[in-house]
Amino acid sequence: MKRILAMLLALVMIFALAACSSNTTPTPTEAPAGNGAEAPADNGGNETPAPANNGTSEIAGTYDITVWVADAIVDLTKKQIEDFNSSNEYGITFNATVEAVGEGDAATNMITDVAAGGDIFCFAQDQFARLVQANALSKLGVQAAETVKSANDPGVVAAATTGDELFAYPLTSDNGYFMYYDKSVIPEEDLDSLEKLVADCEAANKYFSMETDTSAWYIASFFFATGCHSNWVTDADGNFISVDDNFNSPEGLIAVKGMKKLVDSPMYLSSSDGAGFDSGCAIVVTGTWAYETVSGILGDNLGATDLPSFTVDGQEYHMGSFNGCKLMGVKPQTDANKAAALHRLAQYLTGEAAQLERFQAVGWGPSNLADQANAEVQASPALAALLKQNAACSVPQGQIHGSWWDIAKVIGTDVENATDEAGLQAALDNYYNAISALFTMSEAEKEAWSVIGNICGTNWDTDFPMSEAGGCFVSEPLELHAGEELKVRQGASWDVNYGVNGLNGDNLVVEADGTYTVVLDMTDESLTLQPA
Amino acid sequence: MKNETAPAGSLKRHMGLKASNTISNTIIYILLVIMSIVWLIPFICIVLQSFRVESTWQVGYVIPKQWGWKNYIDLWHTDFKKWYLNTLIIALVTAVIQTVIVLCMSYTLSRFRFKLRKPLMQFMLILGMFPGMLTMIILYRVLKDLGLTQANAVPGLILVYVASSGMGYYVSKGFFDTIPKSLDEAARVDGATRAQVLYKIILPLAKPIVIYTILTAFMAPWGDFVFARYISFGTSAGMNVAVGMYNWLNLDQIGQCYTRFCAGGVIVAIPVTILFMCLQKYYVEGVTGGAVKG
Repeated sequence: MKRILAMLLALVMIFALAACSSNTTPTPTEAPAGNGAEAPADNGGNETPAPANNGTSEIAGTYDITVWVADAIVDLTKKQIEDFNSSNEYGITFNATVEAVGEGDAATNMITDVAAGGDIFCFAQDQFARLVQANALSKLGVQAAETVKSANDPGVVAAATTGDELFAYPLTSDNGYFMYYDKSVIPEEDLDSLEKLVADCEAANKYFSMETDTSAWYIASFFFATGCHSNWVTDADGNFISVDDNFNSPEGLIAVKGMKKLVDSPMYLSSSDGAGFDSGCAIVVTGTWAYETVSGILGDNLGATDLPSFTVDGQEYHMGSFNGCKLMGVKPQTDANKAAALHRLAQYLTGEAAQLERFQAVGWGPSNLADQANAEVQASPALAALLKQNAACSVPQGQIHGSWWDIAKVIGTDVENATDEAGLQAALDNYYNAISALFTMSEAEKEAWSVIGNICGTNWDTDFPMSEAGGCFVSEPLELHAGEELKVRQGASWDVNYGVNGLNGDNLVVEADGTYTVVLDMTDESLTLQPA
Repeated sequence: MKNETAPAGSLKRHMGLKASNTISNTIIYILLVIMSIVWLIPFICIVLQSFRVESTWQVGYVIPKQWGWKNYIDLWHTDFKKWYLNTLIIALVTAVIQTVIVLCMSYTLSRFRFKLRKPLMQFMLILGMFPGMLTMIILYRVLKDLGLTQANAVPGLILVYVASSGMGYYVSKGFFDTIPKSLDEAARVDGATRAQVLYKIILPLAKPIVIYTILTAFMAPWGDFVFARYISFGTSAGMNVAVGMYNWLNLDQIGQCYTRFCAGGVIVAIPVTILFMCLQKYYVEGVTGGAVKG
């Protein structure tokens, strides 16, 4: 028994040791030249004009790297890295391990353990803010940023920007949606009108498929049609600091009325699956990724075009779409030379030639402006429809708070269940409340003290700001009347509040009319009124 | 079918015992048939889909229009074989080590009397109440420091699956308790060592429980997803089948990979099915055997 146990333990140890030894990756053979003191971010991607004199000695060398890309382009990426190795002027050679990691999972995988993640990885733009916050992206150098900005779609550049800085390279610009339809069911003259399309589907007993029950991404289409917007502002660390959102507005109400026209149809189906054409759909609203599936099913009957318009109160609104993209990021490195080399590779992999190759191999829509104008790209039915939709009405998908998707998708089911206009309005109110509740205050706002009470014509619903002065918090002069009551609280919430007898004390009652400043003295926690 | 006692309805009184037996059997069999259809349909669908070659995406019908082996051949050209091998290695090694540990543990706790035996058992019971998921992050860190993540996930996962196996002794200890101690004593009197008692007396009598232990030890790593994904993230070489195949369900992949995914599912199910078919008669015996005496 003992012998067996001992053997088992030994076995376990051997496992551990074997794994240890095989894990030690050889360090990149660095160039002997002195390491530049530049930070990786600044160094990264600098297109050195005379590489023979300057760049080569600094960053030349062989580097072992891991690259994460989607399954579909693993082989292509391997080839492109080989091309880079043989063509670059800097003397860089990459020993790349290319792994298939879906763009949808990239952030989750990176954030699990940034140190063990891919050195270069691709991700869908909605993960950008999380990745910046997790320190998983390194900033582009000034020149690289300039090159990227001038060569790419401005919407995509915005998606890779937080604060004023670029943190990723645009890979594609095809993450939007448009309409596939079955030419044998839908007459061409009806394509511009949602009402006619719905009627055609009902007449043919075929489904009109758009995923408005479960996806805010598609729901937004109706809101963009009426000119609503939801713009989120991020700071340089990728934190969300404010939102400008008007979904709950008269325009928003028009939008949900338009949506109601679709979802009330018996032939409405909430799905964005291109394979739906095999099971009774005549129209599916989805994106370029479904093209192969749809063309496999419909063949010559495949039609793809921009979204239709809906009419509310006699006015037409062209349905909008998100215009999103995929990005390629470079992980921050401890070795500045490796970082610089990686940035050069990323720039190459997202350059004009590489994007065109990717389009030819797997049909990904380029973000590069020159590629977008390419005749071959223009001739692709799905990309042509996407570009048409983008031209008609589309909103670049900038930085959006992660919770927005869950909050906004509820509109879909709320609208479906609503029976009258009040119900529709209630759907928007719910949305508005959730957005407001979500928005966390800044640290400064959380710290700030304010006066609240039934004073100056308010009724315990307005906070009057206070400023700090030598250990005291002092309000602006306020005109108070006898009998009015007030308290002082922090962060516009009742978690921390002061009354006449200290923390959580009673309301302070004004004894005589007059203009006072409210003073909270933190040294003895006393709350007093002082005539101004 | 206890129809002989006081039939309630007048109808029943006119029927013979045989007729009413037939009726109740018919009803029961119809019910059973319906239930088995409900249970089997998903599996049949997966098998049928895996032979569909006219398209690779989800469709609204079940019977393929064109049959073929294309999906299985496609599987061969992906990393699937690597994942499959990983899973097989993990499951087999875990099954062997875990079975040995569990049986030794059970034998010890069932036959030996030593200080702190009861507290030890109670301690393990309490320890077992903590959900294993809670330890995921710290385990990841430990394994990472040992170099057992990502490409080396296979030994790492084996280590994790095996590490706590001693605590799963309950069922087999219960079974061992039902084997009379006098057998041990007789063997000891004849000069057998403790180990010989286990090998030559207890284990042959406890065959069902050994089989049960092997099966459960094999199944847990075979189907694991959450932990395996966490340990092997982003590295195809260290993934098991569940994690690897999950990548095919991405939005831009599923249209091309759906039928291949089904084919993979069928291949994954084959060894488990064979294992169960061969060992099922022991399995039921094993699970209930320990229940006779706790």
